[in-house]
Amino acid sequence: MIKVKGLYHSYLRNNDYAVRDVNFEVGEGEIFGFLGPSGAGKSTTQGILTGLLQLQKGDVTVAGYDIKKLKRKMFNRIGMSFEQSNVYSKMTARENLNFYRRLFDVETRDPDELLDLVGLKGKENIRTEEFSKGMKHRLTFARSMINNPTMWFLDEPTTGLDPAIAAVIKDIIKDRNREGVTVFLTTHNMFIAEELCDRVAFIVDGVIKLIDSPRNLRLQYGEKLVEVEYSHNGQVKKDCLSTIIDKDKDKLEKIIRENEIITMHTKEANLEQIFIKVTGRGLA
Amino acid sequence: MKLWSSFKKELILASRGFYFYVELGFAIVLMLVVLLAIPENFRTRTVEYLHLDLPSQGQELFIDALLEEDPGSSPETVELETGGNIYEARLIQTEEQEIYLLDSEEAVRELADSERNPGIVVTLDSQNRLFYRYYLQGYESARLKNLLSIVFNESSEVLQQRLEQQEVRALTTGFEPLSDRENTLPPIVAFSGSLMGMFVMAAYIFLDKKEGVIEAYAVTSSSIGIYILSKVFVLLLTTLISGLIIIMPVMGFTINYGLVILLLLATGFFASVVGLLVASFHDNMTKAFGVIYLLFFILMVPGIAYFIPGWDPFWVRLIPTYPILQAFREIILPAGDISYPLYTSAGFLAAGAALFVLTDIRFKRTLRV
Repeated sequence: MIKVKGLYHSYLRNNDYAVRDVNFEVGEGEIFGFLGPSGAGKSTTQGILTGLLQLQKGDVTVAGYDIKKLKRKMFNRIGMSFEQSNVYSKMTARENLNFYRRLFDVETRDPDELLDLVGLKGKENIRTEEFSKGMKHRLTFARSMINNPTMWFLDEPTTGLDPAIAAVIKDIIKDRNREGVTVFLTTHNMFIAEELCDRVAFIVDGVIKLIDSPRNLRLQYGEKLVEVEYSHNGQVKKDCLSTIIDKDKDKLEKIIRENEIITMHTKEANLEQIFIKVTGRGLA
Repeated sequence: MKLWSSFKKELILASRGFYFYVELGFAIVLMLVVLLAIPENFRTRTVEYLHLDLPSQGQELFIDALLEEDPGSSPETVELETGGNIYEARLIQTEEQEIYLLDSEEAVRELADSERNPGIVVTLDSQNRLFYRYYLQGYESARLKNLLSIVFNESSEVLQQRLEQQEVRALTTGFEPLSDRENTLPPIVAFSGSLMGMFVMAAYIFLDKKEGVIEAYAVTSSSIGIYILSKVFVLLLTTLISGLIIIMPVMGFTINYGLVILLLLATGFFASVVGLLVASFHDNMTKAFGVIYLLFFILMVPGIAYFIPGWDPFWVRLIPTYPILQAFREIILPAGDISYPLYTSAGFLAAGAALFVLTDIRFKRTLRV
């Protein structure tokens, strides 16, 4: 669905590149996470993929369209949810969606149905200048689905949303993906990436450091340990045991058999820890 | 369909915004100023202070001669105050003058000095001929002083004879001048109607940039050309309405409104595209203000040339507002040249179209400016 080869971009059109030699492919029906801290080159890459930034160097194909020869009809297949909400503040939620649906040449979704989907039912006739930040964000997200896109670009889709609404948004993304929609997710939130993505790319200083599935990364970079807390003769004890070494495995088995277990956790690394380990940088 | 939808959206936004009403409100204020504050024709009566140091019979003859210019009127007694002194005077008003007859030369001098108007004392010389002593202000031209010398030193018979010998040949006939009120219309319409569009268009774009909606539009299958054209159409509509608000109450139905509408649309199109182009180089109104201010200043220069016919250098004629003003004047002149506004409109439409293409390219390249 997306093919990027040898992508470079410089805002000053010199050798100071915001992204440098970026290469990756996203398969049809995949959720691909593009992860990195602020200023890493995530938005630049996404801007080029969506035609918002001019392609300077490299080969980029999105949904079968060559970005070098950008055609407007490509956008009939693309949806884009921006990090910063960008809706007409003087128009109501319904007017906003009704306006955008007429800008596509394909069958579009019913605005009221979309508003209902993102929890904005009953707010259809309110001007968005009266909306909270989270409501505007949901409207921007709803708008990105108006043309039933098969290629969906999501830039920080849950930023600024309360956990309940964020969960709704994540469910919508999962549902759409199950229907075959390819998702390009840009975020610095490792938890949402871990939960949603089939594969992730770590980008730092405009360079992709690694691409793999969250599971493989956890296996590769996580520690194979179990932390166990148990009660022995009325006393609370703690142990950290390997799941590979036979001696530790035997000890763990004995602890489970002879004592009351209070807590037990595997010491798998999360994506954030792996990111720091791989790139040497945090995500702030 | 996409253009219509975008146009409708722009109309909704304009009707719920600030600038739409500013433009229309400004037009209504200007219309009221033109109708109520600007007289049909400016009367430029000169004020003169006169003392007749003549025998009473001579005074009466002199006053009768003055009153002949406005039969039926009679001198009115008034009081003039200056420097703490109050002087009684008889006021004679003619079509072009207000003459205050004073009782002393001292009063004439004092009033001429304090009120900055000429004072005249008429006496008889040794040969019993009228002798005029003028108290001028010092700024009068040599031409005026020479004229006064000739008028009072040549015999009236000789002057009359020479005037009769002069042949006056009209190069054009059927020419009717505009009233002063009508004459103020072209610059007012050009600046409030057409050029205001430039400022308002830039303001609309900056509002969209602030809300980020241009980026959202750019990822639809509708072209940027449609986006900017829909804004131009809204601007043309407001330019048309505001222009007609000012023109119609003054001119009534005596002019060719087809030409008025054509010129308003053509010049409004040009001005709004210039506004778009300026906006494509900047993030917000604060950053663009310098350029917009400079453009306004340059575009207003032909307005000075319009009111000072003697000042009409070649470079002023190259500024776009110059032909706009002349074209509007030709439209409202009773025997105006129709071809001039037609050619002007065609020129502005062509220039606007060329700039539109350039603006379209700029917007495609600078969506994230």
